[in-house]
Amino acid sequence: MSPETVGALAGEPGGLTVRVESFVGPLDLLLHLCRTNEMDLAHLSVRTITDQYLTHLESVRFQDLETAGSFMVMAATLIYLKSKLLLPAGPDDGAEALDEEGEILRQELAERLREYARIKAVGAWLALREAEQALLFGRTSSELPPPEDVPLEDLSVHLLQRALQRLIEEQKRQAPREIEPNPLSVLERMNEILALLRHTWSLLFSSVAGRERIRAEWVVTLLALLELVRLGQVRARQAEPFGEITIEKNALSVSEPARAAMPDDRGPDGERANE
Amino acid sequence: MSEAVDVLEALLFASDAPIEAERIQEVLELDSPAAARELADALRRRLDGEGRALQVLEVGGGFRLVTRPEVAPWLVKLQRSKTKSRLSRPALETLAIIAYRQPVSRPDVDAIRGVNSEGVLDNLLDRRMIRIGGRKDSPGRPFLYETTREFLVAFGLRDVSDLPKVEGELMVPDAAAAEGAGEAADAGEVAAAADSPQQDPGASGPDVAPRS
Repeated sequence: MSPETVGALAGEPGGLTVRVESFVGPLDLLLHLCRTNEMDLAHLSVRTITDQYLTHLESVRFQDLETAGSFMVMAATLIYLKSKLLLPAGPDDGAEALDEEGEILRQELAERLREYARIKAVGAWLALREAEQALLFGRTSSELPPPEDVPLEDLSVHLLQRALQRLIEEQKRQAPREIEPNPLSVLERMNEILALLRHTWSLLFSSVAGRERIRAEWVVTLLALLELVRLGQVRARQAEPFGEITIEKNALSVSEPARAAMPDDRGPDGERANE
Repeated sequence: MSEAVDVLEALLFASDAPIEAERIQEVLELDSPAAARELADALRRRLDGEGRALQVLEVGGGFRLVTRPEVAPWLVKLQRSKTKSRLSRPALETLAIIAYRQPVSRPDVDAIRGVNSEGVLDNLLDRRMIRIGGRKDSPGRPFLYETTREFLVAFGLRDVSDLPKVEGELMVPDAAAAEGAGEAADAGEVAAAADSPQQDPGASGPDVAPRS
């Protein structure tokens, strides 16, 4: 871009004609907005950048969900900061008075922007170096016979992993693929048991686990049952070793969805039977 | 023939990787690495003096014989193929973070960039610009990434200390040229002029010249 164009852009505040797709991330966009507004990073104007950021966001075409997410997180932070400005300010406060938490957030944001600006500049410098070096041609493969010991210094686990992955994928392509039904989830099975118990007082384990005696089914059902017992939602009784298990509704428990009682996200709903 | 400096020229000609001063000392049976450096310098002066198409470059901790940029157009023509694909802007920025912060984990890289860097890191690993140097002693034990010798060679750097020194706020390149470097950087603020998202990274050289 020529200096004239840059001047023209900075000159008129409405002239924010930007190719939005070229922004690498939310910080990139934000930094650009700060610069077009001639804004001092130490005194970020939350109101201005929030409005402009949101305006730009509408026209951004995201490559993937994750990138979209990172833009949204930034939007949420900005809106949160701006919402703090709506609270009545004290008499001594300036135009954009934030409470302590808001001020810390703003400082953090400014620091991240500064850091990103540095990285961006170094990235540009590297691009320049790369272009320069591309004009120099040196030998890419040796004229000498390869040394007996393979230099390992620049190899990494990653390359090994990649090689193995390629081999495995090759194998997979050759072998006929077995199509498996959706893996069972413990949580689903727990809810199934609870649903069945809504209509009856007791169940037989075998009737829930299925007659075909598929190992995965039985394991998932047993795990689901144990979890329900732990949560105090059902009781289980087995008269003799390897005998039939009777599942009973726990009279004391209030029937509630199992998810609410999950200890954390590493609970049974994360486990898949076929893995 | 077979003066030490001639032998060195042959060594550099035949080798695909930069040759370290220590290795030159070993092969030529010199007294010290310093003597090897002197020899490399002598070769450099000779090539420069004779106006040859080759030059000695000190990159990646060693010496390398490469062509001069002036003859590049003919070499490109000879190749009959497109030049190597350049790294994308996200890749360069990620590389910059790793170069300065190494060894560094992906969460740290992500935090600075504000976006997920997984794909970019894979690309850089495949191109041998970075490698996994270990694992961080923190929850999840994430991989730690560091730059490789190939990185130094690709960017013509002797070592990572060749990278420009960045402290405080870096200025917008256009403004830096206009105001004279230095002052605006101390003020710690973004320079006044507007900056387009950089389509042409080549425009931004001057304010981050390498330390000599």
